[in-house]
Amino acid sequence: MSASVDEVLLDVRGLGISFLMGGGAVEATRDVSFAVRPGERVGIVGESGCGKTITGLSLLGLLPAATSRVVGEAMFEGENLVGMPLSRMRHVRGRKISMIFQEPMSALDPVFTVGQQIGETIRTHFKVDKKQARERSIEALANVGIPSPARVHDSYPHQLSGGMRQRAMIAIALACEPRLLVADEPTTALDVTIQAQIIDLLLELSGKNGTALLFITHDLGVIAETCTRMITMYAGQVVEDAPVDTALVRPLHPYTSGLLRSLPRLSARGAVLPSIAGRVPTLRDMPTGCRFAERCGHRQEACEAPQVIETLEEHRVRCWRHGELVLPGALTDREAAA
Amino acid sequence: MKKAIVAVENLRIRFPTQDRRETVKAVDGVSFAVMPGETFGIIGESGSGKSTLGRAVVCLLKPTEGRVLHGGTDPYTLSSRALRLRRRAFQIIFQDPNAALNPRMNMLDSIREPLDIVGEGTRAERDRIAMEMLERVGLRPEFGGRYPHEISGGQKQRINIARVLTVRPSLIVCDEVVAALDVSIRADILNLFADLQREFGLTYLFITHDLGVVSHVSSRIAVMYLGKFMEMGPAEDIAERPLHPYTQALLSAEPIPLPSSMRETRRIILQGEIPSPTNPPSGCRFRTRCPHAQEICATLEPAWREAAPGRFVACHFAGEVTGHPLSETRIKEALA
Repeated sequence: MSASVDEVLLDVRGLGISFLMGGGAVEATRDVSFAVRPGERVGIVGESGCGKTITGLSLLGLLPAATSRVVGEAMFEGENLVGMPLSRMRHVRGRKISMIFQEPMSALDPVFTVGQQIGETIRTHFKVDKKQARERSIEALANVGIPSPARVHDSYPHQLSGGMRQRAMIAIALACEPRLLVADEPTTALDVTIQAQIIDLLLELSGKNGTALLFITHDLGVIAETCTRMITMYAGQVVEDAPVDTALVRPLHPYTSGLLRSLPRLSARGAVLPSIAGRVPTLRDMPTGCRFAERCGHRQEACEAPQVIETLEEHRVRCWRHGELVLPGALTDREAAA
Repeated sequence: MKKAIVAVENLRIRFPTQDRRETVKAVDGVSFAVMPGETFGIIGESGSGKSTLGRAVVCLLKPTEGRVLHGGTDPYTLSSRALRLRRRAFQIIFQDPNAALNPRMNMLDSIREPLDIVGEGTRAERDRIAMEMLERVGLRPEFGGRYPHEISGGQKQRINIARVLTVRPSLIVCDEVVAALDVSIRADILNLFADLQREFGLTYLFITHDLGVVSHVSSRIAVMYLGKFMEMGPAEDIAERPLHPYTQALLSAEPIPLPSSMRETRRIILQGEIPSPTNPPSGCRFRTRCPHAQEICATLEPAWREAAPGRFVACHFAGEVTGHPLSETRIKEALA
């Protein structure tokens, strides 16, 4: 993890995803740019439909080829992941970049044992025989804190609890020690005590192997506890990108601030919770100007012009008023004063 | 003293497992009373029995043992006609906003349906009440003509709230009602629940796994684990001075969006998972995951005792074990 700050593992530039629907193309994300450094833990936060999941899927070429179109680039170790031929992508998936999902049951194949599924990944990427693959699979299960790895190795997914399945999926994802793990809501379906175990595990493994994390979630608490940087997406665009502590204490985009303020812990018990009025614009009639303007309490006429993302040292923001607005973050007044 | 709107007395609910060889003890001896106008929160993880308990309170499940009293009467002693009348007063809203809505019915019909079933007034009157409730939950009249696939999750949940309001209930069981909603929408719906409570004098039984939500809306909270209450008391006390090691672990596991310098680094990470409710551990059922478990915990089931006025707990060592209260309290203490 002693990577220099200039070194970039994943460099996403101008990534845009459209879906072909009913004869036309609908633009789902536009001009998404961000970078992940080796070993860095980056969180992407946003509400349903903001484009965070499809951004993750597009990195591994997992969007349906017939009905989607991806533009822009995603440079990973000198190669562009966008438009990468499948034959090449096979060497990247599971080996260099892995992905885990919210619902482990949908990612695990119900007719194969957990061990067969880890073994498959290992044997795809390394020249090992069946016996060696079994040993490495059991080791991978032990590494994710599964109490009796040999037994779980020979179990089918339905025989495991939700927490154990998520561990098994992490074991598969990390079996080949990838450089980047894309985790899409990996703890959302889990109970809070099990979520704490999984977060601990991801932090430990990422630290030990130097695996970078791209953590996609709607849960700001999970981001705070897991990530070093936080990217906020809204309506298919990156609106803010900052070190996590900065984003939590002094967000520069009104949407990030609004998300943080709506958390119950910041309001007195029983008091009215601040909320963000209105709805996300639909993909078919996206405003040409600031996409958040309609719901923003700080809107001015100039917000109707397209907003560019500006870089201020470690902080990037897509709001022309960032210099004049002082927006509250995730602290109570008392905490902020201290 | 006010009379309880719902009193649950030593309630047990058991189901046979699919192969009928074992019995799931979903609710295994729970007693509490909900007072008119309060919000009583029940918090627990999956498999704790909290949803089963909620269903029993509105007579969707019959107690295996014990009683659920509605305003002092046991609904199961009533005639079916009297029971149906009483049912109106005790409503439930579920987590999945889709599940309760018929995809072929427009919103106005869905909202009016409970009134149609009750068979009250003329069709025109029922339509008027349904429109009134649609407006009351913050939706414009044109939503009445829309179908479930045309509206968002938050709007569907508003429709579900409007639906139960038509029959003027006195108590609503809210079972994970905001769990499927995005953060900003969640705040709106919680605000709506609070407004309606003031306006209609509603009582809520708020069932959730979300600590932030439960401690914001509730006046009192019960913590449930494997079919039993572990702890019960005023929301503020439970959130800030938890007595039971399970409550302490739950609070400490909750990820809080605070910068690292302000967050408690020492977390209680519980080992293992919730045991099977077909065969709960002997003695204290939390002992297999409890960081403070002693020999006595395996042999003797801790009594449900009143540790302080209004504060109940089932733990041999409650109050002796050091808790990890919410970090906001820790911050307050640090500032003081």
